[in-house]
Amino acid sequence: MPNLFTLVLQIAVVLAACRAVGELFRRIHQPRVVGEMFAGIMLGPSLLGWVAPHFSAYLFPASSLGFLNALSQVGVVVFMFLVGLGINPKELKKQGHAAVLTSHVSITAPFVLAAFLALYLYPRLSDDSVAFTSFALFMGAAMSITAFPVLARILAERDMLGSRLGTVAIACAAVDDVTGWCILAYIVVLIRAAHSSSSIWMTISGILVFGLAMIHGVRRLLRGFERVYREKGALSENLMALMLLLVLASSLFTEYLGIHLLFGAFLMGAIMPKESKFVRYVLDRFETITVTLLLPLFFAFTGLRTNIALLKDPEMWMYCGLIILVATAGKLGGSTLASRLSGMPLREAVGLGTLMNTRGLMELVILNIGLDIGVISPALFSMMVVMALVTTFMAVPLLDLICPAQALCTAPQKVTVPEVSLQEIA
Amino acid sequence: MSSLGVVKGPMSRAGTTFILAYAFLVALPMVGLIGVLKSGRTLTAPISVNGVWQLQADPVRLAALPCGKTLAENPNTTLAISQSGKNFAVSLSSDPKSTFSGVLEGNTLKALLVPSPAWSAEAGCGDGRELSLVATIDPKADPRSLVGLLSVNQCPACSSVEFHAVRQTPRARSGGGAH
Repeated sequence: MPNLFTLVLQIAVVLAACRAVGELFRRIHQPRVVGEMFAGIMLGPSLLGWVAPHFSAYLFPASSLGFLNALSQVGVVVFMFLVGLGINPKELKKQGHAAVLTSHVSITAPFVLAAFLALYLYPRLSDDSVAFTSFALFMGAAMSITAFPVLARILAERDMLGSRLGTVAIACAAVDDVTGWCILAYIVVLIRAAHSSSSIWMTISGILVFGLAMIHGVRRLLRGFERVYREKGALSENLMALMLLLVLASSLFTEYLGIHLLFGAFLMGAIMPKESKFVRYVLDRFETITVTLLLPLFFAFTGLRTNIALLKDPEMWMYCGLIILVATAGKLGGSTLASRLSGMPLREAVGLGTLMNTRGLMELVILNIGLDIGVISPALFSMMVVMALVTTFMAVPLLDLICPAQALCTAPQKVTVPEVSLQEIA
Repeated sequence: MSSLGVVKGPMSRAGTTFILAYAFLVALPMVGLIGVLKSGRTLTAPISVNGVWQLQADPVRLAALPCGKTLAENPNTTLAISQSGKNFAVSLSSDPKSTFSGVLEGNTLKALLVPSPAWSAEAGCGDGRELSLVATIDPKADPRSLVGLLSVNQCPACSSVEFHAVRQTPRARSGGGAH
């Protein structure tokens, strides 16, 4: 049984810290979520555990962390459903070759550079229980992800959602996230299959059947939600509960198949109807509790697993610097180069690269999976968290530098504005 | 620079540029990736010591060692090792507040333990004494096992105590933050 006093105290402290630091960051024109991520790190051994170890041990005793983790995972399951819901891969088709090239390069460039970096880091930060292929693929997936919700938030705050830059960025981020999650699913299957008695081909076949059933079967049934919404202008509580049940069922199924709960939640969101008013309506129903209560717990849990003190010598900081450099060169550099080749003006191309380089919360979700399945070590986890914070934090100041006057980067898009949502999440 | 957003014909200049750019920026790096994955397979990473290890040592000799009484009184003491490459941290089940940090050199583990204040209260354990652990891993044993010596720094008269440890489970990574 959880110690309820400890659990409620933890939640209260986490909420207070996240709101306070989030507000501070908002005042320096950073998305609130960046501040909340920092708050999570501050509550862990990197700051609180270092400055006040006794208070930290009292507030977060090891025996209580399982309950905090369980609550935070429920939040991330709902969050991943909302991310999937907000993503509309069809938008990419509207953007033409420019977005296709940019989105694919924004995946391959950081992915390949990360694999090269893995050649250097594997003998230094991993161990022989992890195969190089898994290590390198994980590093690639972790570096090629883009924080779709943070990106949408930054664009909304700068009134750039309808611009060419905004629409291409949203389309590319959607493709990046879907691709990144597919690669990650493959890695999780590879690693779990190595420790399981069931055949990897059985697992892959199961996943394929499940995916096809979801895309070609369940997806059609889900249109019923949209139809009811169109007719009545709202969904009953029973229907909302049914939707949540479907998310949980999908999550359980992917967990059973040997991938991860979060893939099922994400897939369920991705195959939901994409009519913009319907999407907004569903987001409004789920966002508040997820964003204000459950996600801060995830940040805190991530912070409790992040120990900057593990980077105890200059060599470790050099690895961390290399990771940040490679992540930025691959994502920012790759996206900029591809969009420039696609005919985008230089200023907008660099702006797009900057936006694609934000990794934010999505990165933390992936890193936690990596640590759970043992493909990355605690020190590498901490370095990658630092990379996620730095690349997300740098986006707004860089955009200010690149587009000092808003009009310079808000060339109107000829194509329809995509259905961007999830703005409140970030 | 021509825009790739508008393609007027199958062999338009923009279309050709797109194909070339795609081949150069997407297809070629993917070939490179395959090469990296192949060459990486020859790399060797440090031996895995991550996990929970059951410690076995002579309790009489352990009790005679300064700072050894706490360990001797807990015959089921386990070492939980959290590894990052060649570096690792160890916590003891008998006193989780005391942590070792150490390095791996080939198949040899070297770590120093700073006893917690509660542990240091044990007779003869104060004055900044540290426990030193040096052990060799048998990588071929399944489950992996350790054989080594526990000794106390700043105590030339104290003899070392041999110990043996067997890995129970490779530890689920918990990061460095769990108390």
